[in-house]
Amino acid sequence: MASVTAPPAALQQASTGKRKMSSLERRRMWGDWAFIAPQLIIFVLLTIVPLIIAVPILFTDKSQFNDPSINQVGWSNFTAVFTDPSVQADYVPAFRRTITFVALNYTTVYIFGLSLALLMYEVGFRGGFFTVVYLPLMISGLAVGYIAVMMFAQETGTGNFVLQDLGIIKKPLNIYSASGTTVLLPLMVGWRYAGYNMAIFLSGLLSIPQETIESSVVDGANYWQRLWRIYFPQMWPSFILATTMCLIGSFAVFDELVAMGATYVNPNAKFLSILFFTYGFQIERLAMGMTLAVETFFPLVLLGVALQRLQRRVQL
Amino acid sequence: MAVESATVTQLRRRPVSSMSRRKLALRVFATVVMVVYTIVTIFPFYALFVRSFVATKDASDLHLWLPKSREVPLEAEVGNLSVFYQLDLRDLKRALGIPENEYLMARMTLREVAEQYNVPEQEIKDFFKGFYTYNGWMTLLGQELQGTTFWGALLRTVLITAFSLGLMIVLSICTGYGLAGLRRKDQMAVYNLYLLQMVIPVMLIILPQYQLFQYIFNLVPDYARQGSLVRAALQLLALVLINIKGTALTTMIFVSAIGTIPKDLEDSAMIDGASRMQYVRHVLLPLLKVPIVSMVVIQLPLFYNQFLEPYVYLDPSNSTLLPFIQSTSGQFSTNFQVIYSGVFASVLPLIVIYIIFRRFFVEGVMAGAIKG
Repeated sequence: MASVTAPPAALQQASTGKRKMSSLERRRMWGDWAFIAPQLIIFVLLTIVPLIIAVPILFTDKSQFNDPSINQVGWSNFTAVFTDPSVQADYVPAFRRTITFVALNYTTVYIFGLSLALLMYEVGFRGGFFTVVYLPLMISGLAVGYIAVMMFAQETGTGNFVLQDLGIIKKPLNIYSASGTTVLLPLMVGWRYAGYNMAIFLSGLLSIPQETIESSVVDGANYWQRLWRIYFPQMWPSFILATTMCLIGSFAVFDELVAMGATYVNPNAKFLSILFFTYGFQIERLAMGMTLAVETFFPLVLLGVALQRLQRRVQL
Repeated sequence: MAVESATVTQLRRRPVSSMSRRKLALRVFATVVMVVYTIVTIFPFYALFVRSFVATKDASDLHLWLPKSREVPLEAEVGNLSVFYQLDLRDLKRALGIPENEYLMARMTLREVAEQYNVPEQEIKDFFKGFYTYNGWMTLLGQELQGTTFWGALLRTVLITAFSLGLMIVLSICTGYGLAGLRRKDQMAVYNLYLLQMVIPVMLIILPQYQLFQYIFNLVPDYARQGSLVRAALQLLALVLINIKGTALTTMIFVSAIGTIPKDLEDSAMIDGASRMQYVRHVLLPLLKVPIVSMVVIQLPLFYNQFLEPYVYLDPSNSTLLPFIQSTSGQFSTNFQVIYSGVFASVLPLIVIYIIFRRFFVEGVMAGAIKG
């Protein structure tokens, strides 16, 4: 008898033990959720829900936020960028300007961020210089835009006068011209984010095991070889992070452009972000603006997620 | 390995060698780069300060120091002064003892005003003393633009920044504690959701987000009335909510910081009868000084310098600092002196804080960058 009843008892014990564990765990989980919930509710409401409520609007001709008469228009907002000349006239030049800006701004990540980080790494961390490089991050994009205007407006730019007096440039630069915006804006934005990118690259450099560097020195590797064979391969997470942040940030550049008069007079500063803003808030083409934003940014979000995954895999 | 590093130190210590010469060259090169970069970085701020005293009309000359104050000529026309320099005609009339209801024609020169109303010219000269030089600052600090003043806008900015920082840190610590360890699937899912924030551009969600707030706000009866207190409060609340909603960075920093704290600490607190809230408040919080500093120094400039959201959500009469400065440009696009004064006034507070607390900024940013 005993030999028959024993196993079920043991089984029962084991299963009750397991159930006890899981009820404890469940209590733990609910406790965790009580802490997660407050911020998560706000986060979902303000980041995820807007993406959801946008979807039905994309298929309408809603012109402003409190539009009383709304008609369904099917997919025509999505195809407008290929078929509607009035949209193309706005979108195509803005797209070209934005892409150029993103490309050039991405090079400033390396021109400023990476070079300064390498410099700091080789001569030792200098807190004072770090403070200087990081300083422009304390000021707003709007202020950076107005500083750009103050420095490089054609007739009144302080920077123009100084550079001309030093003999570095012959003719004054013009921030309002197409070429001026193309060249100067990435430089100003790169200058602003230099400290940020430098911190990313510097933390990557500091995570490299000292032994690998020392042994490469002993083996007689020159600086260039060390850079490509030792430093960069071990800094992948930094490169990916800097790329992600720069891509997302430069597509959404806005404040600097507003300071340069993008929302009313200056056509050369009309980038995609300005276009979405004016469609939504100024010229009553809300649904079209939202659709264009979704079409533009959706591939970018996918790319960003892919980069994040890549970064996590590289870090492991 | 040990032998190798010993040779390296020997190599480095050898007094005369190509190595040390190269090191000297590197140091000279680095110093030159640092000095040049420092000058290039500081100069714009100095130039901005100087330009806030330079009348727009005189801006086509290089000014490296505050311009000598120039007298306003008596031939200046009243209309030009009020259009280009925001001269408040009511102030002028009051100062010169001209009746309020008198109409000063735009083409009238100051000399004509003096003759017509029998005002001694000296009195006009006194009124306009330093008018060109300090015009930007006087207009910015003294006048009301679109229903608010500089000080009101500054106050709102400081309030929003302070509330946002405090609430965001409390909420993010709670999130970090709830997610710490990332042991379960639901925790991992929430974590990934926050990571998504990093790749969603603000420009993508600003339009539908505004739409959402309109839906919600329109349910409040008094919201539609311009200038009502409820309307102003709701708009400011919207900004605070946007600021405290949590980002990829806040979540990453606190999850990883709390993850490194031994579980035993929590267990022993529980055995001593502490609730989880008490554990967070009395045990966890004091251990999180480094990530909190990190958070403050990264988020403070973002909150203080926020432009797009206040520009969109706030009525001009309820605006924060940056939209206020932008509105001075929209209204009088010709008076750059006021704009530069405004820009300088807006960057000054944070730069002062930054210079005073620079040690915390450097450490916090580096700590944040390593986590991120």
